[in-house]
Amino acid sequence: MWLPYSHHVPAAFLPRSGGAITGILLIALVHLSGCDRPTPTSARVVRVWCHQGQEAENHAMRDIAAAFNSAYAAEGVRAEIVFFPDFQYTEKIAIAAAARDLPDTFDLDGPLVARLVDAGVLQAIDRWFTAAEQADFLPSILEQGTINGHLFALGSFDSAMVLYYDRAMLAQAGVTPPPNDSGWTWGEFIDACRRLKAAGLEPVAMHLDESADEWYTYAFSPIIWSGGGDLIAPDQRRVQGVLASQQNVRSLDAWQAVFREKYASTDPVDPNPFDHDKVAMDWSGHWMARPHLAHKGEKLGAMPLPGFGTNPSAPCGSWCWGMARTARDPEAAALWLKWVTDSRNGVEPIVRANGAVPARRSAFAAFPEYERPPYNLFKRQLETNAHPRPQTPGYAALTRGFAAALRDIAHGAEVPTRLQMTEKEIQAVIDRRPASTTIAEAPR
Amino acid sequence: MTAWKKSYARAAPWFLLPALILLSLFVVWPLVRASLWSFTNADLLNPAQKQWVGAGNYGGLLADAQFRQAFGNTALFALLVVPIQVTLAFVLALWVNRPEPAWRWLRVVFFVPTVVSMPVLAVLWTILYQPAQRTEMGLINVALTTVGLPTRAWLHDPHWALPALAFMSLWQGVGLQMMIFLAGLQGVPAELHEASRIDGANAFQRVVHVIIPALRNTIVFVVTVTTILAFRLFVQPYLMTHGGPANRTRSLIQSIYETTFLGQELGRACAAAILFLAWVGLLTLLQRYFSREDRA
Repeated sequence: MWLPYSHHVPAAFLPRSGGAITGILLIALVHLSGCDRPTPTSARVVRVWCHQGQEAENHAMRDIAAAFNSAYAAEGVRAEIVFFPDFQYTEKIAIAAAARDLPDTFDLDGPLVARLVDAGVLQAIDRWFTAAEQADFLPSILEQGTINGHLFALGSFDSAMVLYYDRAMLAQAGVTPPPNDSGWTWGEFIDACRRLKAAGLEPVAMHLDESADEWYTYAFSPIIWSGGGDLIAPDQRRVQGVLASQQNVRSLDAWQAVFREKYASTDPVDPNPFDHDKVAMDWSGHWMARPHLAHKGEKLGAMPLPGFGTNPSAPCGSWCWGMARTARDPEAAALWLKWVTDSRNGVEPIVRANGAVPARRSAFAAFPEYERPPYNLFKRQLETNAHPRPQTPGYAALTRGFAAALRDIAHGAEVPTRLQMTEKEIQAVIDRRPASTTIAEAPR
Repeated sequence: MTAWKKSYARAAPWFLLPALILLSLFVVWPLVRASLWSFTNADLLNPAQKQWVGAGNYGGLLADAQFRQAFGNTALFALLVVPIQVTLAFVLALWVNRPEPAWRWLRVVFFVPTVVSMPVLAVLWTILYQPAQRTEMGLINVALTTVGLPTRAWLHDPHWALPALAFMSLWQGVGLQMMIFLAGLQGVPAELHEASRIDGANAFQRVVHVIIPALRNTIVFVVTVTTILAFRLFVQPYLMTHGGPANRTRSLIQSIYETTFLGQELGRACAAAILFLAWVGLLTLLQRYFSREDRA
C-alpha cells in the first residue's frame, strides 16, 4: 500500500535539497559501523520493524505484539517492535540493509519483495507454513510473496480497488448502474461519464493529486491488463516492446480521453471529492469503503473497475511480512510471522483497525460485512481476477517511469511516444543490473 | 625560534585534533568511501558484494541521456534564476536600505519566504499554479484571466514547467541575497557617498561608480552561492513536478537521489555525486579566482 493521502506526510520527513548527497555520505558512514553485533543469548528477542500506519493500526499492532509476548513468555521468545513512518520506508529498509543492521523480520510493500529477494536480503519462509496453512491465504497474497517458486513474504491483509458511485447522482443523469456486481465495459463507462457531465455533474475522481508514484501503478495497471497488455515481459527483465505495445497505447489513449473530455480532474485539490458530493463516481480502494458508507449510506454503490472486453482486471497487493536472511533466530522469527498472519491473533485485530481485506479465508467469518457490497466485491476480485504488480527487481524504476508517463499522458502527452520514452528509461536501469540467479521466470 | 613560538607549535596539533577527528570521521572518510564505491557496481542493498568497474560508472553517466538532461535542466534553471535573482536582490537591497522602521518591515516581508520550509512552499505553489478546470483554478491563472491573458497548466507544460519552478524559487530565495547585499551596502563608507554627492554624481552614477565597485566581493560571493544553491535544486521538482513533464524538470540532485534510493545503484550514484562535487568545486574555484583578482 502507499499513503492514501499525500497531505498526511509531515514536512519533516521530506528530503531537503542536498539530501541525496547527505544520504550517500550517511550510508558510507553507517556502513563503517555496520559490523555484526554480539547479542544476548538468554532471551530469544525477535527484532520487528513495522511501517507506521494510522493511529488505530499502530495500536492494534502493539496489542498483537503484546499478545505474542505473553503467549511465548514460557519459551522466552519476545518481539521488540519498532515503528517507522511509512513515507520512504523502503529507503529506510535499504539503508538498514546497506548498514547490515536489518531487523529479524519486517513488513514491506508487496511489489518490493522481488528486489529484496534478488539482493539476498530475504529468506524463503515456505518451510514454516504447512501446505494447508498456505492454502488458507488468498491466492493474491501467495502470488505476491512467491518468487521463483518459493514463498518469501505473507501479509495479513490485501487490498482491492473498485469504482464507487452515488446512486442518486447516477439516477439524476439517467444512468443505470450495471446489474449485480458486474462491471461496465469501457464504452459504457465513457457513456455514463458523458451523461453525468451533460447533467452538470463532475463524473469521476481519479485522484491524480496523489503524490506517490505507486498510486498510478496500482490504480491504473488494471487498464493495461484488461486491454490485453502488460507492464513487463514474463521474464521480469524486459519492458522494451511490452510497455509501449499496441494494446497499451490503445488502452491509455482511452484513459487519456477521460481527462481530455474533462470527465475527471487532472489537478484536483480535494482528496475526497466523492464524500463531499462533488463527483458522482470514485476510482478508489477498499480504504475508502468505511468513509464512503458513513457519508453515503444507502446511496453508495460499487462495481468492478471498467475494462476492455474479455479481461476484467483488478489490482491487489499490500504490506506483507518477510524474514531477513540475517535473522539470528529464524525459528523465533517464524513464530512472529505465523502469529501476525494468524487469522485470530494477527489478521482479525489488524483488519478491524485498518479496514483492509483479510488475507486468510478463515478470517472472513469474523467480518460479516463481506457478505454485502462493496466488501463482497473486494473478496471476489481477490479470489478471481486480481493481478499482483510486476515482480521485477527493477520495480522502483518501473513504477517511477510508469507514473511519470501517466502524469504526462493525463495532461495531454502523445501516448505512443511518451510510452516509448519511459520504456527506454526503465530498460536502461534493468539492463545495468546483472541478471539475477535467484529470479528467473517468476510465476504468474 | 623563540620559546613561546616553540610552545605554540607544540600546542597547535592538540587544538586542531578534535576538529580533525570529527572532520575525518564525518566528511573525509565518507567521501573517500563514496569515491571508492564510485568505481564499483555496489548495490545499495548489498554493498559488500561489489565488483571493480573502473571508470565505468563515470563513462556510463556521461553517456546517459537522462543524466545529461538532468544536468542540462539544472544548468538552465541556474541560468534562469541566478542573473535575475542577483539583480533583483541588489535592487531590493538598494530600495530597503533605509533606517526608518517602515523599511525594516519591508525587509522582513522580503525575507520571510527564505525562512519558510521549502516543502510547505512547494505545496502552496502547486496550488497557486493549478490549471483551469471545471470548478477550480489556481490564483496565478485567475490573475492572468483577469488581465485577459490565456491560462496555462504551468507545471505540466513542457515549455513552462521549468520557468515556473524558477519563478517560484526566485521569489523564495531573493530575500536571502537581499540581506547579504544589505550588509554589504551598510559597509560602504559614508565618505564615499558624500564625496560622490559633492562631485555632483546623480543616483544612477553613484550606484554604478561607487556602490557596485565597493560591493564587488559581495557580488561575486552572492553570484557563486546562488549558482551553487541553484545547482542543488531538488525539493521543487521532486514535490511539484516529479521531474516531469517528460523529464523536463528532473534535476541533478533528484537524479542522484533516485539512482541511490529507487534504482539502488550505489556505485553509480556515488559516481554521480562525485561528478556533482567536482562541478561545484569548479564553480567555487572560479569564484576564488575572480575575488582574488580584486584583492591584488
